Amino acid sequence: MKARRRITVAATAAAAAVALTACSTGSNSGSTSDDSSAAPVATALGSANAGGVPAAITAAGGTELLTTAKPDGVSAQYGPMCKGSDLGIAKIDFTKDTIGWAQSEKEANPFRIASTKSQIEAAKAKGWKLLTTNAQSNVQQENTDIKGMIDKGAKAIIFSPINSTGLGDAIAYAKSKKVAMIPVDRNITGVQGCKDVGPQLGSDFVEQGRRAADAMIKATGGKAKLAILLGATGVNVTDDRTAGFLDQLKAKNASGIEVVFQQTGDFTREKGKSVTETMLRAHPDVNAIYAENDEMGLGALAALDDAGKSGTKNVHIVSIDGTKGAVQAIVDGNFDAVIESNPAFGPASQAALEAYVNGDGAPAVTITTDNQYDSSNAAEALSSGKAY
Amino acid sequence: MTTLAANLRDRTAIAAWTREHGVYLALLVLVVFNAIATPNFLTVDTVQLLFSQVPPVIIVSLGMALVIGTGGVDLSVGSIMAIASAVLAKFVTGGSPIGVAMLAAVAAGLLVGVFNGLVVAIARVQPIVATLGVLVAGRGIALVITGGALVELFVPVFKDIRLGKFLGIPYVMIVAALLAVAVSFLVRRTAFGYRLLAVGGNRRASVLAGLPVRRTLVVVYAISGTLAAVAGVIATARLRASDPSYIGLLMELTAITAVVVGGTSLTGGRVRILGTVTGAILIQLLETTLVSHNAPDSVARMVEALIIIAAVYIQRPARSSR
Repeated sequence: MKARRRITVAATAAAAAVALTACSTGSNSGSTSDDSSAAPVATALGSANAGGVPAAITAAGGTELLTTAKPDGVSAQYGPMCKGSDLGIAKIDFTKDTIGWAQSEKEANPFRIASTKSQIEAAKAKGWKLLTTNAQSNVQQENTDIKGMIDKGAKAIIFSPINSTGLGDAIAYAKSKKVAMIPVDRNITGVQGCKDVGPQLGSDFVEQGRRAADAMIKATGGKAKLAILLGATGVNVTDDRTAGFLDQLKAKNASGIEVVFQQTGDFTREKGKSVTETMLRAHPDVNAIYAENDEMGLGALAALDDAGKSGTKNVHIVSIDGTKGAVQAIVDGNFDAVIESNPAFGPASQAALEAYVNGDGAPAVTITTDNQYDSSNAAEALSSGKAY
Repeated sequence: MTTLAANLRDRTAIAAWTREHGVYLALLVLVVFNAIATPNFLTVDTVQLLFSQVPPVIIVSLGMALVIGTGGVDLSVGSIMAIASAVLAKFVTGGSPIGVAMLAAVAAGLLVGVFNGLVVAIARVQPIVATLGVLVAGRGIALVITGGALVELFVPVFKDIRLGKFLGIPYVMIVAALLAVAVSFLVRRTAFGYRLLAVGGNRRASVLAGLPVRRTLVVVYAISGTLAAVAGVIATARLRASDPSYIGLLMELTAITAVVVGGTSLTGGRVRILGTVTGAILIQLLETTLVSHNAPDSVARMVEALIIIAAVYIQRPARSSR
């Protein structure tokens, strides 16, 4: 129904955040202990900040930050290590057995298109047999889809949950049939690591919000009248991207950036445009816009263009997603920066599945790496096809 | 005793007046509120923005008013907007001249409207069910036409549609106003208009009186579909893109609200065009007001719901006529 409802692993572990952004001092409220000696993971990333495992990771079944070498495209991994054999799941012969891919929402926006394409292409490259379904944003449909693919003989299901809860039916069925379950994008919450579902892979939406704030501070020099185009109401990804952004503004003491307007644009271009049109009348002094997805950002740009105010010299725009349209807008001088939300879970999730059922196991929760685009690398991202 | 009687008479009179004119009063109240509480409200810019945003709502609501006048309802208007938008995109990207593309888009809406009419009039499926089917299927068709994704359209004419003005009034608002006049003429001054109201007032009596009930219904749904398609074209030009997933989404609810708030009874037999146009403007201005004041989405929805309930409450039949 709505563009991108993605529920997730919320916060990155303090240690990971510090190590990755090298600038988030004080941003991890409540986890500023420095008793590094007490935590076995403390020194691994060269950080003195031990930190705890964020609540969202715990909810998804992660209990400890892993310090082993991370594969390409992964920014953090949390244990325990999941092994399919612990749930009685037999080894899979990928040359003969089929696996299933259950997409949550119709492939009508770039993120969903890219996410399904990534699964299909990764499977093709490995010569795997892949069944696919699409639940059209209906959680009951997704339960049915997953169970249907299991009945058709799928030995493992990689799926993008519509919601972090509500798929208990399919998960229980898979468990009873000893079928491996790999959630990607949004994570399944309220599970014990490895006991209900297999390894989970997702993006960190709070971190995306923080990085957007950093980009906004850089673009505006820390002084702006800012409008926020929020995502769809009542969706974790909206809350996470808002909280991450606002927390980071506070953490960086960016008091010169005044948030004068916050309104939902429902993750759609149309609403992003009409809301921005209205906002520009009530607050003509707004000179920076943070859009929680690219589509709303492009809607805002269309509104600014109609009003003769497009271009970053008039109004700064930072958005999240990394779609072609938004990255092109950077090249055109209309967006300052785009934080990527990487939809390409195919290779990482299929590698995790292989390790989970046939190998030494895979981490309970994996946070994938999101790129970031600005004028320095936008053109390259378009020509290389990195922007989806 | 006399005072009580007078009191009762007054109350009935007030109720009747509110039924007739409540929407104008509500719009006035909202304008006054904005003039006081919204920064930069009393400007030409504000009116121009409103008049560039509201036309699709007005145009869809006109068709909806006719359908509701027959005692039916057309839930498929939002999906027809999406289909028109998708057809427009298909023709434009296929290299057709923009005029041809727009005609094709409107023709698509006409076709779907005729289909609705046939299902309602000939197959005698209840309007709410017949058009609900098209509501669901129509958006799917639109998605198939464009391949699912948003299609950006760079058409110079769209800029004129979006931003063009005559004497400071956006072209699209002029189009909406002309259509309102045309529909009003149709309802009040033509035999077709009387037939429409007769069918809505009492279908069986209309049949017995020898009126062409089926033909009237088919034409009414065809008009509604065509107008929805026009709105779809305008919405596409406004967005400079065809987004079949979202264009026209929930438009059926907005249009029904505009019609009901404007004083057209859901039971049929009566159509109020000026009230409908005012209702559409009221709803658009309400949304703009809530956005201007940073009202959270949840609050906005509750306020809209309250207004619908209030409107329907005011519309309820007077006691004496029960």
